[in-house]
This record gives sequence, C-alpha cells and structure tokens, in this order.
Amino acid sequence: MGLFQKLFGQDGKGSAIQVFAPVAGQVVPITQVSDPTFGEEILGKGVAIKPTEGKVFAPCDATVDLMFDTGHAISLVSDSGAEILIHVGLDTVALKGQHYTIHAHNGDKVKKGDLLIEFDPESIAAAGYDTITPVVICNSGDFAAIQTHTGQTAAPGDLILELTK
Amino acid sequence: MKAFTFVIQDPQGLHARPAGMLAKTAAGYQSTITIKAPGGEADAKRLMAIMRLAAKAGMELTVSCDGPDEDAAAAGMEAFLKENL
Repeated sequence: MGLFQKLFGQDGKGSAIQVFAPVAGQVVPITQVSDPTFGEEILGKGVAIKPTEGKVFAPCDATVDLMFDTGHAISLVSDSGAEILIHVGLDTVALKGQHYTIHAHNGDKVKKGDLLIEFDPESIAAAGYDTITPVVICNSGDFAAIQTHTGQTAAPGDLILELTK
Repeated sequence: MKAFTFVIQDPQGLHARPAGMLAKTAAGYQSTITIKAPGGEADAKRLMAIMRLAAKAGMELTVSCDGPDEDAAAAGMEAFLKENL
C-alpha cells in the first residue's frame, strides 16, 4: 500500500478496506452458520463460505497472527488493521490437524492470494464435520460499517467484505 | 486489583470458540482484564490477542482484573473459565 493511500485512503472517510474470498465456494450470511459462536456473531461480523475446493488463500495483504497448530483456523491482521479469522469447518479443532496441511506460519507477511492452508473437504465431511468456513472480522467494533457480499459463488480473490471506519 | 489462577482442563485448549466467549464475557465488565499465559499476556476483551496466547490444556492462566467492578469481574471470569475450559 502506498503512503498516500495509507494516509488518506484507509484511515479517513475514503475508500473501504476490502477483504477477498480466501476459499472458492458459495458465500452466505454468517447468520446461516449453525454454530452460535459464529451465527450470533460472538467472534465478529463476516460471511461464511461453503467450500468447493480445499485451499485457503490470503484474503488480502496481511501478517499471520496465529496459525492454529491444527491448521483448522488462522487469524491475520491486514495491513489496513482488520483482524480476520478464517475458521475452516465447524468444531474441526477436534480433528487435531488431520486433513489439514499448513502453508504459513505465525508472523509471516503474506500477499493476497498466497496459499495458507490446504484441507481435504471430502474427508472432513466424511468424518462428520460441516466444512462451512466462516470469515469474520474479530475487531468488528473498530469499524462503522461492514458490508457483506453474499449470494455469490466466489472464486478465491473475489470481494466478500468491505469495512469502513 | 483482583487476580486468580486457573489451569485449563479442556483438552482442546483455548481455541476460537471459547476465546470468543471469553472476550464477550470480559467485555461485560468495566475493569481492565488481563490474562497471562506461558505464551504471553493478553487483553481479555480482544479476541485476537486471546487466541494468540495459544493456551493449551494443562497450562496455567493468571487473570487480573483492575477497575471499579473488579470483584464482580474476577468472579465472573472465574465462573466462565470453570464452566467452559
């Protein structure tokens, strides 16, 4: 991000912070997630994606804050200050890393589109878990408005969230 | 200031769901609430900071509450941890 944009674009009244689809699939409102921790927005506002492919890519330029050692979730801080949690599947912490491969580590600087996690949606579903993947903004309270782009079938990199300070 | 310690019992540790519920519980109090774990220290009202502790089963947390409602905050946080972790 250029200095001019940093000074006048992201922090002022100007352009919104954009977050892009980390995974391919149908984008639905977060309220459709059956797990109330997500569905009731306890972890923050956002969307959920029903994955059609087992690859999670960086949703914007960011720093990896925490790659869960199980690979089922990752939190990132975007260069513009959004705290983003991507949680691949529901209750999947219980898989203890099975069916997940980690491709990024804590503190890594990543660019939009960098591969973060690979997972096996068929095996996770076969093990009895919902693969729906919430993408939430943990510091939702820091933004005046969070616009969601649901109802689309997204490719990785398609716009899903716009945050306005 | 009120402080107490708690050892995590849940075999899955302090993962996303309990971290979110913990932050929500902490947000209900005026006091500043800090959690110390072997992996560092976090503001209990900030979800990402709590997750970053990556606290696992068997690890000891020290929870400190400082503010006008610190007694209620410490009691509330302790009850939350006992029930959920």
